[in-house]
Order: sequence, then C-alpha cells, then structure tokens
Amino acid sequence: MKSYYDIAGDGGSDILQQVAVQQESVARSLSGVRNLLAVGSGKGGVGKSTLVMQLAYALRELGNAVSILDADLNGPSQARLGALQNRMLIPGESGAPVPTTRNGIGVVSMGSLVPEPRSVEFESVASGSSHTWRATKEFTFLRELMACMDWGKLDYLLVDLPPGAERIVQYAELLGPAALFVLVTVPSDLATGVVARSLDALKKTPNRILGYVENMDGYYCSDCGQVKPLFPAQPQVKLDLPCLGSVPFDPELAALCDRGGSPCEVPALVSWQPVRRIAEEVCQRVAERVSAPEEKA
Amino acid sequence: MKFLCVSCDEAMKLIEAKPPDRGSLTVVYRCPKCAHEFAMLTNPYETQIVGSLGVQVGPEGDGAAKCPFPGVMQEMGASLDGSSAASPWTPEATERLANIPEFARPMAKAGIEKFAKDRGLAQIDVEVLEQAKNFFGM
Repeated sequence: MKSYYDIAGDGGSDILQQVAVQQESVARSLSGVRNLLAVGSGKGGVGKSTLVMQLAYALRELGNAVSILDADLNGPSQARLGALQNRMLIPGESGAPVPTTRNGIGVVSMGSLVPEPRSVEFESVASGSSHTWRATKEFTFLRELMACMDWGKLDYLLVDLPPGAERIVQYAELLGPAALFVLVTVPSDLATGVVARSLDALKKTPNRILGYVENMDGYYCSDCGQVKPLFPAQPQVKLDLPCLGSVPFDPELAALCDRGGSPCEVPALVSWQPVRRIAEEVCQRVAERVSAPEEKA
Repeated sequence: MKFLCVSCDEAMKLIEAKPPDRGSLTVVYRCPKCAHEFAMLTNPYETQIVGSLGVQVGPEGDGAAKCPFPGVMQEMGASLDGSSAASPWTPEATERLANIPEFARPMAKAGIEKFAKDRGLAQIDVEVLEQAKNFFGM
C-alpha cells in the first residue's frame, strides 16, 4: 500500500502550495530590506519595545533607513511610541505604504489599527477553543501583514517580538534564517534566567544572535544627576553572549515615550547616549557578519 | 492530508468542497480508478485550524470572517463585507484595494469613504487614495 510520500500532490486541496505562496510573497515584500533585526527577550516588561524605538532613532541618526514591525499583535506598543495611533492602511500602488513617524521611522503596528483598549479578536467557527488555533492564526496574520506592506529600501527592519521564551524560535522560523537577533534583559536573575532560556532555544536555530542589551541598568535620578542601582545586586545568571551595552532607566525617557516623542528632540536625555553606542555596536557587528557570514554568534 | 483508495492503491482526488455548515466542512473525494467516493466531514476545530493557516479549502474557504477587529468596524459604521452606499469607487481604486490584506480592507474602505465625504468628493479614484495617503503621512 502506498504511503504519504509515494503520492505526489495532495489530491486537490492545494494547502501546502498556498502556504508556500504566502511565504514567497513575504520574501518578495522584504526583498529591499538589507537587515532584518529581531529584538526579543522571552521575558515581558524588560523594555524591549521602548528600546526598539530608541534603537530605530539611533540607527537612523547614523544614516540608515529604518522601519519597525511590531510583532506583538495583542500588546502592541510601537504605534503609541511613534505617535501613530488610529492610522488605517491605505492601498498604494504596490502594497500598503508604511506609516511614518515625524522623524522618519516607518512603523507597522496593530496599535495603529485597533484603538486602545480594544483587544484583537479573531472570529472562529470553533467557539471557546481559541487555545487550539490562535497561535497559528496570529502567525498567518503576521505573515500577511509583512507581505502586504510596501517596505521599500531599508537598511534595517526592526522586529519587536512579544514575550515568550519558546515562541522566539517560532518567530525565527517565520522571519527566516537571515534574521538577526538581539536579546534584552534587565539586571536580575529572574529576568536573565528567562532570557537564558530564549538564548538556549535560539541557539538551536540557524539565526545569528548579535548580543544582548542590559536595560534598566540603574535609574537616573534627576535630583542628584546620578545613576543609582535599581536592582539589589548584579545577577548571578550570565548570558553566554556579547553585551552590546547597558541603558539606565530614565523617567524622562518614559515620559517621552508616553507622548510618542523622539529622543532626537531631547539630546540631553541620559539614556540616549548608551542607545547610540548600542546602535553603533549593532552596525559594527552587522558589518562583521557581512565579512564572515558563515559564523554564528 | 492525502487519501488513498486502499483497494486500488490509488490517491483519491478532491471533487468538491462545500461551504461550512455550522463550522463543518464537507469535502468529497473520488478514486480516479474505481470512482468510489467518500466525504470528509470536519469538526469545527479541524475547520478552524486549517482556516487559521490562511488558506482556502474548496470554493468558500473556512467561512470565518477575516477582520480581527469587528468591534472597531462597527463603530466606524462599516459593514464587515466592506459594502457601503457611500461614494462610488472607480475600478482602478477598487483594484488597488486588493493591495492591502483582506482583514484591513473594510476598515480602509470606510476610512477612505469618510475622508472623501468630509471633502465633498463624490467619487473615490486613485487620486483620492493618493490624497488620503499624503494626509495620513505615508
């Protein structure tokens, strides 16, 4: 009796071919993107999204064309960070033009389409069982979103990943082996332990991990002008990965983010210089990758 | 998923996929050798999982609405199938609407129609789409 692999095609349902077409359309849409850089953690609340937007501004300041894809469909932040709430997609000549912040950062985020506090709902014929299909639906949705946007020519497309240590591998598969990763942690064992799990999972993929950023490394006190410890001690858990830099928690930055402002408007911002150095480090490591593409981090 | 006619050792061919009935798809297969037919009847979980891949099974797909924000749509006064009695769209503008994902079309259609109405534009053509694009800073 024939086995599955003895039979060519799928009898007419064409499902595998349709999925392949979806994947091809994503590749076509991203053909003008030189570097796909995913920023993840595994842990929530470490400041990934804020860092992504700051990094985008810093990379742009270095002369790069940058856009952001907010892959967190359920807890999108980038629309607010870029002051791009309530923006619908408008059909262009070849795909949908990417909404752009007033400082020139392209942002694609569900936060532009779905106003707060609404949640994203997918209708289903299998009511009450969303845990069985929701993840598949979300990845399909994200793929469709990536495929339809007119990304144009970009030096960097930053992808702001949602939390979830195990899901980081699923995003690596979605974005493809050329996608680079940066992990974000805070100086605590609790967070770094989870990030270490993400790192362990990512190391099994072909994707290259540029390094990690230690966010909230102390907080800036505007009264005394000093950076003071935010966490009681340095973490014992170590990440086997280059540190791209540390950024202190800066209340002024938090306020700026809430109003969708750009750090370029406040050059004296304490957290801005560290982010700029991280951007330089990223560019340098990306350039090294181009000269030594076969090596993994 | 593939189906095999055991007696003929022949792959069955999809003949017909009927639109979902209460979440269940009916997909009819036939053996090209002995013409034996059978129907695969999916339960709603199976229908939903395949539908979540964004693929079409048979003529009508999974039948589930594509828009993930129906509440927002209703607030905007748009119908989920994107139909409206507002300003007419030229064939070129309608064609361009296909350049954005299906889930975003009803919202875009409603928003662009509002944009046109606010400016007293009677028809939505490619020029209006360009105006909207510039207005929204894209």
